[in-house]
Amino acid sequence: MSNVKCDHCHLVFDESVMINENKLNFCCKGCQGVYHLLQDDGLDSFYDKLGNKTISPPLEVQDDTNRFDTKSFENTFTSINKNGFKQIDLIIEGIHCAACVWLNEKVLYSTDGIISADINFTNNKAKIIWDEDKIKLSQIILKIRSIGYNAYAYDASVADEQAAQSKRDYFIRMMVAVFASVNVMMLGVAKYTGFFTGIEDEIKHYIHVAEFIFTTPVLFYSGWIFFKGAYFGLKNRILNMDFLVSSGATLTYIYSLYVMFGGKGESYFDSVTMIITFVLVGKYLEVIGKKSAIDTLDKIKSSIPLEATIIEDGIKKTIALNNIKIGNIVEIRSGEKVCIDGIILSGEGSFDESSLTGESIPIFKKIGDTLFSGTINNDALIRYKVTKTYKDSTLNSIVTLLEDSLSSKPEIEYRANEISKGFTLTILGLSLLTFIVWYFFGIDLGFDYEGVNHFEKSFIVSISVIVIACPCALALATPIASLIGISQLAKKGLLFKEAKFIEILAKADILVMDKTGTITKGELKVKKSNILDDNIHKLNLLYSLLEASSHPISKSVKKYLKEEYKNLEIKNIIDVKNIQAKGMIAKYKNIDGNSFDLIGGNMELLKQNNINYEFNSANSIYIFAINKKIIASFELADEIKEDAPELIKDAFKNGLEVIMLTGDNEAVAKKIADEVGINKFVSNIDPIGKANYIKKLKEEGKIVVMAGDGINDSVALANADVSVAMGNSADITISVSDIVLLNNSLSSLQYAFKLSRRTYKFIKQNLLISLVYNMVTIPLAMAGLVIPLVAAASMSLSSLLVVANSLRIKLKND
Amino acid sequence: MINDTLSMMLFVGLIISFVILGFFIWGAKNGQFDDSEKMMGGLLFDSEEDLNDAIKKEEKKKEIKVVKKEQKKSESLS
Repeated sequence: MSNVKCDHCHLVFDESVMINENKLNFCCKGCQGVYHLLQDDGLDSFYDKLGNKTISPPLEVQDDTNRFDTKSFENTFTSINKNGFKQIDLIIEGIHCAACVWLNEKVLYSTDGIISADINFTNNKAKIIWDEDKIKLSQIILKIRSIGYNAYAYDASVADEQAAQSKRDYFIRMMVAVFASVNVMMLGVAKYTGFFTGIEDEIKHYIHVAEFIFTTPVLFYSGWIFFKGAYFGLKNRILNMDFLVSSGATLTYIYSLYVMFGGKGESYFDSVTMIITFVLVGKYLEVIGKKSAIDTLDKIKSSIPLEATIIEDGIKKTIALNNIKIGNIVEIRSGEKVCIDGIILSGEGSFDESSLTGESIPIFKKIGDTLFSGTINNDALIRYKVTKTYKDSTLNSIVTLLEDSLSSKPEIEYRANEISKGFTLTILGLSLLTFIVWYFFGIDLGFDYEGVNHFEKSFIVSISVIVIACPCALALATPIASLIGISQLAKKGLLFKEAKFIEILAKADILVMDKTGTITKGELKVKKSNILDDNIHKLNLLYSLLEASSHPISKSVKKYLKEEYKNLEIKNIIDVKNIQAKGMIAKYKNIDGNSFDLIGGNMELLKQNNINYEFNSANSIYIFAINKKIIASFELADEIKEDAPELIKDAFKNGLEVIMLTGDNEAVAKKIADEVGINKFVSNIDPIGKANYIKKLKEEGKIVVMAGDGINDSVALANADVSVAMGNSADITISVSDIVLLNNSLSSLQYAFKLSRRTYKFIKQNLLISLVYNMVTIPLAMAGLVIPLVAAASMSLSSLLVVANSLRIKLKND
Repeated sequence: MINDTLSMMLFVGLIISFVILGFFIWGAKNGQFDDSEKMMGGLLFDSEEDLNDAIKKEEKKKEIKVVKKEQKKSESLS
């Protein structure tokens, strides 16, 4: 036995499981198929490009390509570009390396009718443009699947488009600034050498002109965003960081122009480019963070259904949710989500309403019962009549409610902004003061230039105050620390939609948590079992009965039984009947011809079958009986996440108040609260109640963090200062949340708190560094004691100090 | 004299650097730098065949644009 590598996907498996074929080895039929297809099409250079990297084997996908050609799919996802071709945005699954991108693009481009296919390696998004007269979308998708990848359509949101646009825009602006600063710095070497060794005025003038040519686009093109930011700030009567950056840079620029056109002194063009470049780099880092958050969310969202199957005149049709009218008949299969409200016409089954109510145990619904959108059909084929349009359905009305509360969410004042306001005014004031004192009181200190009159000298000194108090360090203090913090968090599966949430999380007073799915796992597990007769034959019958049901309780008991007893077999039981919401009954005949009645279910089912058994528990119960004799009973309950108590303990230690909100009854709530160590909880609370509770806390002046997962939490999440969603949450919940825990674990939430506090500490340190730095240097500048060389060098030094300090966040990474 | 030479060199250097910056912006606007990982990986695929493919891609886009326009024209005429 030895391990061999699959010739397509390069994954290593044992020789015995491989498909052998003329010295070639494949791990599965899929890999074999793709390998031969690539050979036949002359695309085998893919393997050279792949090198030693591994890729995932092609997946078996069901044949659902027809739906790509339906009118509703076309309306939802495709659009027509300006040249009259069809265009779609896809997310391609299975891309691991540059060779994968190459293969997909090559295959798509060589297909007749496809005009362009641009695949983004970083986020796996693809934009495909094709000629609909020559090829159908379903054929394109099949093409992608045939080479071992899969594609999903996603609704390219406006936010995504904007983020991509602003990323490119910032990138170009930043690169222009970087390009110019590098050149200006090189010219600066000549200029400053001349400062010590002497330089001819004519040469100095050439250098000034060259610096001017490089600096002008930086200030007015790259720096345009600061002017814009300052303008909007002033309009709202706020002196922001943008104002400080733009006014500082412009004043320095004007002064340098004056020097260039024959004035005396030194030009500060290099300072202008450096200010803009440093601050712009900080801004660009923020833009990148935002874009990658959007990309991750699009991947999660690409699985959301936007259409439903309706039955019209006996024919099944797939149409977009928006086009479904009241009175239409909709069919949903097991496992599908109800997208639109209605009343059941045929079929009955259990529905998972946990995302709406928080209740983890499925609810049984039969003909005539109302279905709510957002719930999930667990086990039956159901046809129902639509009673509300998509717009008025439960799910959508919650969304509308959310949008209202999001638009009224107040912004918290950020520390850096508060400081920048004071700082800006102080510096501009000090500069003016310096000029007044020097000019009107005739003070004359420091350097001496030939032929500089008193006015010019006063002006030079007051400008040097602004240059030395360069806002770079201050402007970089927050973004650089936040970015390092966020990238550390992302490595642990924490997605922060914006950097500012770090500060709020660090300052939080109260952590409000939902119960089901957040503190608990949201699935039933056998807590206690009482097996009265552990004869393996009898347990085999129990196992067989459980096997026949897809109810969550049966599944959990089955899982438990499998773990406890290894040699279970499935027997041939007959007359299996599903008694909805109660359990199952069946018969079994052994070899001797004896017949046994099997009953498995809850107390009501026992009563119905005249079995007397006393059992009291707050938990869900599953009892199994043969011929009316109890064989085993199980108690099931939702289990808390293992890392929940640790998180709560840590929160208390850091002075956070923890409150649990749940729609469940008091007894269940109390039990869970005791288990994890929460002493304050509110039970029997509905979604609106949750939201009002959060509002009340906020009115008391507290900063509230809310963690939840269901649609029932979403309104409350939208009202909180920071909202945390689990990665397996309902899609609406994820979209309103500020932080997403991609791995659902509470220990990562604990880590988020910890790292946010740490990052915030460094933000404060950075601000302190730049303030202390300014407190030392500004008096020197005001006294006219700073020579231009020192001014320019010290400006970079302060920025470097801040960057170096921020990098320390990474050091202690436990 | 030496000052003239220096100023000439400075001037030529400026022009060259701005031409390069122009090319860079042109590339960025075409989306060449949108996907940093693809750009880095794509650099490795520089065989004759790959370069020919890249040209074919561009030509295909242009060609079809023209064809479609003509089609539209003839449609509107008839």
